[in-house]
Amino acid sequence: MTAVSPREAAVRVVERVLERGETLDEALEREANQVVERDRPLLQALTYGALRWLPRLEAQVAALTPRSDWRRDPPLRALLVLGAWEAWGLSTPPHAAVSEAVAVARRLGRSRASGMVNAVLRKLHKQTPEVAEDEPTRFALPPWLAEHLRRAWPEDWPAIAEAANAHPPMTLRVDLRQGSRQNAAERLAAHGWTSRPGRVSDAALILDRPCPVGELPGFESGWLSVQDEAAQLAAPLLDAQPGERVLDACAAPGGKTLHLLQQQPECRVVAVDRSARRLRQVAENLRRGGVAADCIAGDAADPESWWDGQPFQRILLDAPCTGTGVLRRHPDIKWLREPSDAQRMATAQRRLLEALWPLLAPGGRLVYATCSIFPEENQQVVSAFVGDHAEAVPGPGPGAGRATGTGYQILPGEAGMDGFFYACLERRGT
Amino acid sequence: MALLDILIYPDPRLREQAAPVTRVDDGVRRLVDDMLETMYEARGIGLAATQVGVAQRVVVIDVSEERDQPRVLINPEILEATGEASGEEGCLSIPGYYDDVARATRVRYQALDRNGEAYEESAEGTLAVCIQHEIDHLDGRLFIDYLSELKRKRVRKRMEKRERQLGAAS
Repeated sequence: MTAVSPREAAVRVVERVLERGETLDEALEREANQVVERDRPLLQALTYGALRWLPRLEAQVAALTPRSDWRRDPPLRALLVLGAWEAWGLSTPPHAAVSEAVAVARRLGRSRASGMVNAVLRKLHKQTPEVAEDEPTRFALPPWLAEHLRRAWPEDWPAIAEAANAHPPMTLRVDLRQGSRQNAAERLAAHGWTSRPGRVSDAALILDRPCPVGELPGFESGWLSVQDEAAQLAAPLLDAQPGERVLDACAAPGGKTLHLLQQQPECRVVAVDRSARRLRQVAENLRRGGVAADCIAGDAADPESWWDGQPFQRILLDAPCTGTGVLRRHPDIKWLREPSDAQRMATAQRRLLEALWPLLAPGGRLVYATCSIFPEENQQVVSAFVGDHAEAVPGPGPGAGRATGTGYQILPGEAGMDGFFYACLERRGT
Repeated sequence: MALLDILIYPDPRLREQAAPVTRVDDGVRRLVDDMLETMYEARGIGLAATQVGVAQRVVVIDVSEERDQPRVLINPEILEATGEASGEEGCLSIPGYYDDVARATRVRYQALDRNGEAYEESAEGTLAVCIQHEIDHLDGRLFIDYLSELKRKRVRKRMEKRERQLGAAS
């Protein structure tokens, strides 16, 4: 049996994403155990970088060869963009990177292209060629997405695109009941992991360099969790009180479920998710924090199939979305989404809101959240909903982002956070 | 020690049923050493004697990060297999081809070590998959046998083409 070289595995990961439409997380999960553990960080660095900068890397390759057949040959294309990223963004010694890439070309049955791979990658390691600086190439976005962002955020979109290509920080959330943020920072520093406090969430610590999750002191006890600062704003905004029934409607993987229970252990949480497999991640997250919820596999848009008829005082609807606010963490999203997705998602989001609203007790609060920055999925969904429901009243904001009428949009990069949208709706009446 | 030639699919010798080793002597130990050297050189994590044209039940494996934990399995036998998961596999005898195969996630097995001493062990993860993959070789089975006929035919064509190209190049 063979263990695969990280560069060969990287080719297959990129192919899985670009040709088969798998997410980068899925593709890595499938391929990572084929390489020895020591090479896994390289596999990750290669594939994230290549997918983040794809059009730019393709332009660099194109500048160095008169051939264009490599564009139509998925493994060869993947090999070349990965090689270009390694030359441009990683500090591998050129000789090792090039000879390994040539060997992979042969193993992939691309012996005839190995001379070209060799020549192009050698040149790339000597000097990065000048490439056309049109916006989709410069920002490494598919043209439709660049255009969509420009229309939605005419002034901010270059900053958004830049933030989307930045290397994301590893942000932690401290369970303040187990010990202060200062104590957590000191404990981390004692293990060699320095950090700085987040500026928005009072529980956030931003690591100066990423730490393998397994090595985080205080992770197993739930004192520390990995969660972007923008996502840390959900539980405080929901503000559950002792004895209340809380619904977490699209709960997996459970980071926010754990947070809201750590913040208010005296509430009763029902965590629903469509995927039984992903629901197990929720249970695992909760176990770590020593808290429990009623975890139900079901479709949140069809409460009849799982709801016991008891109203909820709080509902968190962290709706499925295009994920355009988290491109820096999931660069594959740029290539997996299509122009029609925003509208398709908006329809599903509205359906979720309509289905869950009747479950909210009078006087209760629903928090609608997405990690999208498309207005179609955010303020437009919520405004239309509020327009049709006189008993729905906008509540407070998350303490970050810009007001959009009904809700608050955090743009990627604001205070170093992921892009996120929050709207808080309260149900009038007693 | 010497490097051995690895048979490439569709070589018919890969289909042979290997015979149990009756005595672990210096000849077998030499075979084990050569197989380990061949496996490390080819960057494999497991190699069965069948793959080097020796129809005896001998397997070497090293799934460690540092490539410094060789395992020797002579006359290996799986005692118990539990769980099932699908994962991608590749094979030194089918270079460049990978596909998903469903295997037990945990196995308990027995074998003889290089001194002919019997031992029993449990394995999971990559090691468990590798043991099943290598024992299959001893029984003349390849991981592509678990795929559809269409896929198997495609692999066969690809390997034959590769052979022709290599033949033409040398």
